[in-house]
Amino acid sequence: MRKILPLLFVLALLVGGGVSAQDEVVTIEFWGGWTGPDGDIMRQIVERWNEENPNIQVNLSIQQWSPLFDSFVASASAGEAPDILAMHPQEMAQFIELGMLDPVDEIVANSEVIKEENYNPVAWERQFYNGVMYAIPLDLAVHGIFYNVDLFEEAGIEAPPATGEELIEIGRLLTKDANGLHPGDEGFDPENIVQYAINMHTNHHAFFQWWSLYNQQGGQLISDDGLSCAMDVEKSAAAWQFLQDLVYTHHIAPQGQTDYARDFLSGRTAMLVDGPWQIPALEAAREESGFNWASAPYPTVFDQPAVWGSGHNFTLPSMADPEKRDEAVQFLEWLAANSAAWLESGQLPIFLELVESEEFKAMPGRDAFMEMLPYQVLLPNIPKHNEIFASNAPTPMMVMAQHIILEQADPLTESQIACDAITGILSIP
Amino acid sequence: MVKEATMRVLPRARTTDTQQAAGQAWRFNATPYWFVLPYLFFFVVFRLGPSIAGLGISFTNWAAIGTPQWVGLANFQAMTRDPRLADALRNTAIFSLVTVPLLIVLGLALALFLNRQKPGRALGRVAVFTPYVIMSTVVGVLWTWLLDKDFGLVNLALSSFGLGKVPWLVSQDWALLGIVLTTVWWTVGYNMVLFLAGLQDIPAELYEAARIDGADSLGLFRHITIPLLAPTLFLVLMLTIINSFQVFDLVFVMTSGGPGTATLTLVQYIYTTGFQFLKFGYGSAIAVLLFVILVVFAVVQTRAYRRGLSGAQ
Repeated sequence: MRKILPLLFVLALLVGGGVSAQDEVVTIEFWGGWTGPDGDIMRQIVERWNEENPNIQVNLSIQQWSPLFDSFVASASAGEAPDILAMHPQEMAQFIELGMLDPVDEIVANSEVIKEENYNPVAWERQFYNGVMYAIPLDLAVHGIFYNVDLFEEAGIEAPPATGEELIEIGRLLTKDANGLHPGDEGFDPENIVQYAINMHTNHHAFFQWWSLYNQQGGQLISDDGLSCAMDVEKSAAAWQFLQDLVYTHHIAPQGQTDYARDFLSGRTAMLVDGPWQIPALEAAREESGFNWASAPYPTVFDQPAVWGSGHNFTLPSMADPEKRDEAVQFLEWLAANSAAWLESGQLPIFLELVESEEFKAMPGRDAFMEMLPYQVLLPNIPKHNEIFASNAPTPMMVMAQHIILEQADPLTESQIACDAITGILSIP
Repeated sequence: MVKEATMRVLPRARTTDTQQAAGQAWRFNATPYWFVLPYLFFFVVFRLGPSIAGLGISFTNWAAIGTPQWVGLANFQAMTRDPRLADALRNTAIFSLVTVPLLIVLGLALALFLNRQKPGRALGRVAVFTPYVIMSTVVGVLWTWLLDKDFGLVNLALSSFGLGKVPWLVSQDWALLGIVLTTVWWTVGYNMVLFLAGLQDIPAELYEAARIDGADSLGLFRHITIPLLAPTLFLVLMLTIINSFQVFDLVFVMTSGGPGTATLTLVQYIYTTGFQFLKFGYGSAIAVLLFVILVVFAVVQTRAYRRGLSGAQ
């Protein structure tokens, strides 16, 4: 009995504490896919909320986006779901069609914070599907160019490229073989290049770049009725040809590159096409080793500016506990106005108060990306988005991209194959 | 590769032994069943149940949400017109054809080598087996670096022999081989351990007697080692084939099935179809196909093994 008594005491404390706490504390389940440094930033933001709001505790679960959605589907299938689920606007349609997300129109109508006039209009309009708003935006991202200022100065280049011709011209100067010769020089050895001008994606960012260049020519991808591919294969081929030539004709981008950020930081490539999420790593390199970088807008290679874009948003799964909805919205309202810390993630703010803050304006490297926001083009938000665009599956887009960039396949043939595959996917009900 | 397959086969083999023992006594003895019960519970709940459910789902259209829609054999008919499935089948077959012999021959060679009384034997065994205890995702990331075209250690080693850079994971021609290499490095130690156990079961007297009769080492290997190792060989072959047909994690981490569809495998396609495209009916139908393939292999092999046994007698 002497041994059991303290145990009972502890148990009583636990049970007693549990009951009284249950009366007041609401726990919000919040899922997101930020597995990089941005995940730590989101955790800090959530911790701050939890300290300030002892009665509404937010439990943030982070895992990579793709398994995150697997978990979401599995839990929804069992009739449960997180109270808040972060995603990208172009991924919403498939879940909306299955009735897995609730509209947020009513929440927006009743909120003092989450209102159209407080947000960047580009971000706001992305949250609608069939005229109904389904998500609250957090940020935006677009492709841009990061460049190594020291290598630019060494090659005597003053400004980053704004057009396709400039990119190729500058690219020649920035590419060197082991003997210091540039492409086009006599005796230049393309098999022995030690410094390339620019990276070339071999993952899904390859077709993100194609998306920018395709849209720079103005073009549709999916038919208006959503049942077939409406790709202009000539324009598609022209977009791919530009990218393929950088590797195989001009020799200013490497073939089969796998770690773009590492190659840029090590000076192997003088430019890096990527999103603003790279900024924290580049800033860290500047502090550690004086890595001298700057950013520029994605060049306009064809007729009009256009750039691939995405962003994060918050959705409210319909299978979540309806009793917790108010608290979840309360947290999201606070987050919108208090996400200054999120600026550190590099992602572009869309809450106007933050955009106009002195703190943001003083941050390095963001201007070039903000400048391109009006020209952002999102991948289509259609129910079969994943079947066409998923990055870690053999989707028509991935197959087309890798065949063209890695295997030097014919852009026109591959575009036609991809378009036929897309029609095949869309025509099945 | 899916390691659970081994756990599924081993305990089952033991159950049949105990069942036979109980049968010989001609009375029902409940005790062994109590020992099996915990495993049986998990087997039914997490394996048998879902398998039967999967078979049911394969006749439906289901997005994991809402009510499944009965479509009869439509999913199976769709499989005949699916070029991606053909890719996955072809890649999985090639992968198995290359990996299985490599894993058997290398595993056996290593076991024979490390079975001898030599200094450094224990260290050798540990070195060969260690990769197997590493998580597949870690192995995948590690080998993605090792096989990097420009900075990878593998290409660095090749270049010291004067060989050019191999585009291991970034070319359709090489990517599957890159996965094969990684798989062999990762799992050969497991086969080696099974072979070692088999080798140590062979009585040393047999070798002595044969040597007195004048057998050379090749004769010893052919007429003593191989026949007495046959049950182990059969088990290892079976496990290796099943595992190689279920290859998934390394592909998922290293190439996601690319470039293009060069490394798309059956299980990855099942995962993609079900969880990423939310077509659980079609995904289940492909899983049924994989199941049928494996059952056919198992039946053919068991028959061949039995025939071999009776032939030997």
